Amino acid sequence: MSEFRRQHWAAAVDRLFTAVRQNFVTFLILIFVGTRQAGGDYFVYVLIGTMALTFFSGIAGWYRFQYRISDGELQIKKGIFVRKKVYMAKERIQVIDVTEGLVQRVFGLVKVEVKTAGGGTESATINAMTFEEAEELKRELRNNNRVKIEGDELLEDEGVSSEDEFLDEWKISSKELVMAAFTSGNFGLIASILGAFSGQLDAVITDETIEYIQGLMPGLNNFTLVATVVIVILIISWTFSFLGVIFNYSDFSVKKTEKELLIRSGLIERKHITIPFDRIQAVRFIEGVLRQPLGCGMLYVESAGFEQNAKERSIVLVPFISRTKMHEFFDRFLSDFHIPELEVKPPERSFFRYLRRPNYLLLVAIPVAWYFWDFGWLLTFLIIPATILGWLRYKDAGLYFDSKMITMQFRNFNRKTAFIRRKRVQVIEETINPFQERKKISSLAVTAASGAKGIEFSINDLESTDVSRIRKWLLNGETDYASTQ
Amino acid sequence: MINHIPESRIDKKAIKAWRFSALIFGILWFVPAIAYISISIGINKFDLILSILSVIPSLVLYLFIGLLVPNLRWQRWRYEVNDDAIDLLRGFVFKTRTVVPINRVQHVDTNQGPIYRKYGLSSVKISTAATTHEIPALDDETATEVRNKISQLVRQVKEDV
Repeated sequence: MSEFRRQHWAAAVDRLFTAVRQNFVTFLILIFVGTRQAGGDYFVYVLIGTMALTFFSGIAGWYRFQYRISDGELQIKKGIFVRKKVYMAKERIQVIDVTEGLVQRVFGLVKVEVKTAGGGTESATINAMTFEEAEELKRELRNNNRVKIEGDELLEDEGVSSEDEFLDEWKISSKELVMAAFTSGNFGLIASILGAFSGQLDAVITDETIEYIQGLMPGLNNFTLVATVVIVILIISWTFSFLGVIFNYSDFSVKKTEKELLIRSGLIERKHITIPFDRIQAVRFIEGVLRQPLGCGMLYVESAGFEQNAKERSIVLVPFISRTKMHEFFDRFLSDFHIPELEVKPPERSFFRYLRRPNYLLLVAIPVAWYFWDFGWLLTFLIIPATILGWLRYKDAGLYFDSKMITMQFRNFNRKTAFIRRKRVQVIEETINPFQERKKISSLAVTAASGAKGIEFSINDLESTDVSRIRKWLLNGETDYASTQ
Repeated sequence: MINHIPESRIDKKAIKAWRFSALIFGILWFVPAIAYISISIGINKFDLILSILSVIPSLVLYLFIGLLVPNLRWQRWRYEVNDDAIDLLRGFVFKTRTVVPINRVQHVDTNQGPIYRKYGLSSVKISTAATTHEIPALDDETATEVRNKISQLVRQVKEDV
């Protein structure tokens, strides 16, 4: 690969396709608006002209785009008018992502994204190449890419063949996929859609529309009408998230090689993600409200230093896995991690603090609502679920630490468990407010790197002595259980 | 080292510098009151009592944040840099203790804004792969010293992320 070469010409097609897809809505609107006015024909010409221009610039872009690997660097020349050269040193390359988009699958090709560490660095994307070329590129870029990690012994170079061999594979069954899709209801999304709608409700629900709908469906009154709207929204958003899961996680597999985890998933657009073991910062297990009763959840992995986007920096490691199976998964794929019993829990004297905490917001909200809305006092009933949430949070909060890693379990709404190796903990923060100080309890926040930023895990109202022990543990790895027991 | 509080305090001039900037920027607290008064004059409904009442909360906030808070903040602020870690203690209501292990530090720099320059102060900024932390208001030499000490310690335990 030391000579400059071009991509497959499908890159130009992909570019056109992407442009159309991204501007699809704009196109639709323009077509509607444009053709309705007088002289609409001209508008169509303009549209076709734009498309043609995009296509030709795609071809020109494809022609000008050349890449090679030489001197231990990935070198890319691109740009139609402004010539741009991108050099990426092997040692700095963190992640090589392989995706098969729709266009790529039609041509039997893949798209390769190469990402380096740090903020602001752009990733290099090669839009169309054959799978074999991609493999070759990956192999060349990873070669000699030995990064020494503090505390870990330097991994030995054992040649290419043993390194690429798949040692193990994990798949999710269709049953698990369907279960994952069924339980994927995203409450945050639903709530925000409902919120957006309820703002418009007054405008929509007028006497006329009510009469009209009642004419259509006799037997509806105001209450059932609102209930119907809510249910319809629930069903729609749930359907979306159901399909989302099916599209994203069909054909899912995790493979393990000597040094990496390879994740593949997707029905139409297929993603391949490579995560080197030494880039793993933390593993998270999230048990959604609907999933927890089934004893299942989603497993994420946090990887350092490439994705700026908060939504994408956590990578889904397994979309659906039961707590019992997780032990097996950790043994087989993440041997650095294990799942311990939680030993450090918040003390009994923080119980009522936990119950109160979710209610603080209501303390403000109830009087305001009571004053301004006719039925504002109904908010008072929210005290019950809020208190139950507080109780659940108290019950679920806990952590465990040993010389190698810390496990933290906590709940905001979903129950989350974070597994972080000690060497990967960036910062520990202890916060004490005056009320906590009196009771000798404090809140703990542990930060690990994730993407270009960090991800913080926190547990409220722990025994202050426990938190001090954890601060000490961060520096020397001593758990020091004896001193308090 | 862990249960004793960090040993160094930040420079006492910090109080003056914070007070100075709070008294300048604190003028913004009066914006609502001034807006109210000028509108009421504009529509010829000026009411002396209401105007005074509207100024009072701003004035209380202004004086509290301008005069008292810098003292309280300074009282609490402590830091310590040793071979293992950078240890910070701060916050006058919520007391926060931060521990950054030395080998997680990615870079350190010192900063000086116009107000700090007036008092000969600098702040030291410590970045890890995930977070940024600041030791505010050290006098220039101490800041340089702390920065050099940290970067030297980091070099000693030099490791990749």
